[in-house]
Amino acid sequence: MTSARAAAAEAWAFRARVEQEAALRFDRLAAVVASFDPASPVPAMMRRAADDERRHTELCARLAGNLGLQVVLDPEATPPSIAPRSLDERQAALYEVVAACCITETESMATLTTLVAAEPDPEVREVLHSISKDEVVHSRMGWAHLSREAAATDVAFLAPLIPGMLAGTIDEGLFAAAPADEDPEGLLRLGVLPLEQKREVFLGTLEQVVFPGLEKFGVDPEPGRRWLARAAGC
Amino acid sequence: MQFKKLFQVLVLGGAMVGAVAATACSQANAQDKAKKPPADAGTTNSAGSGVKGW
Repeated sequence: MTSARAAAAEAWAFRARVEQEAALRFDRLAAVVASFDPASPVPAMMRRAADDERRHTELCARLAGNLGLQVVLDPEATPPSIAPRSLDERQAALYEVVAACCITETESMATLTTLVAAEPDPEVREVLHSISKDEVVHSRMGWAHLSREAAATDVAFLAPLIPGMLAGTIDEGLFAAAPADEDPEGLLRLGVLPLEQKREVFLGTLEQVVFPGLEKFGVDPEPGRRWLARAAGC
Repeated sequence: MQFKKLFQVLVLGGAMVGAVAATACSQANAQDKAKKPPADAGTTNSAGSGVKGW
């Protein structure tokens, strides 16, 4: 197996697990948000998103399998809340929605857009297209929820918590040197960003989409910006 | 990568989704209140505030 093929198999297997967790998280959050904002469109969007994520899980697992890595998923998996325990239920829901949708799904959309433009293999392209159609909505539902909460309550408490959310979205190798045997073209064909592009997409999305978005809805982006400067060694 | 376009589609698009639903809700509330018998006519201010808020 080539290094690109092995790395891509690992990446798609990881995505399958992440998508499964996202499905469970959206199902749980839909019920919580509906309990304090019954007029919101977000819970219905989350329930549809959970179905999307279950479909994505199958697509990602199938691609990993085609690349030589069988994915074994735990059907009993129940991802815990990622919110700090000091938050009340409504604040915790907002924390999770911002982390999962405003940050993670927005970063996913930027990544998918870049990957689709890189002329991947046809089978990979089909999966990327299918997932990206849904991820637009998943990101939007996060911004929709944040905008509603910003109008209804104080969301400023999130600002110092943003660095923790950001730290959870990257692995420590993101700002390190690329592996010596990295095959950027091979990776792109199989739907994986080479390290340098991954960094560019991550930084650009935070600086030009996520931070301005947070600021627009009353969440000070400065703690996040300071974390990013330290993490990226700027 | 067109980050500006992503901002418009995701952040501003998301805000519109939230706001449109709030508007639809306000309009539905206003319609419900409009259907109430004349004895409740004193509530027109609150019905109006929903529309004004929008």
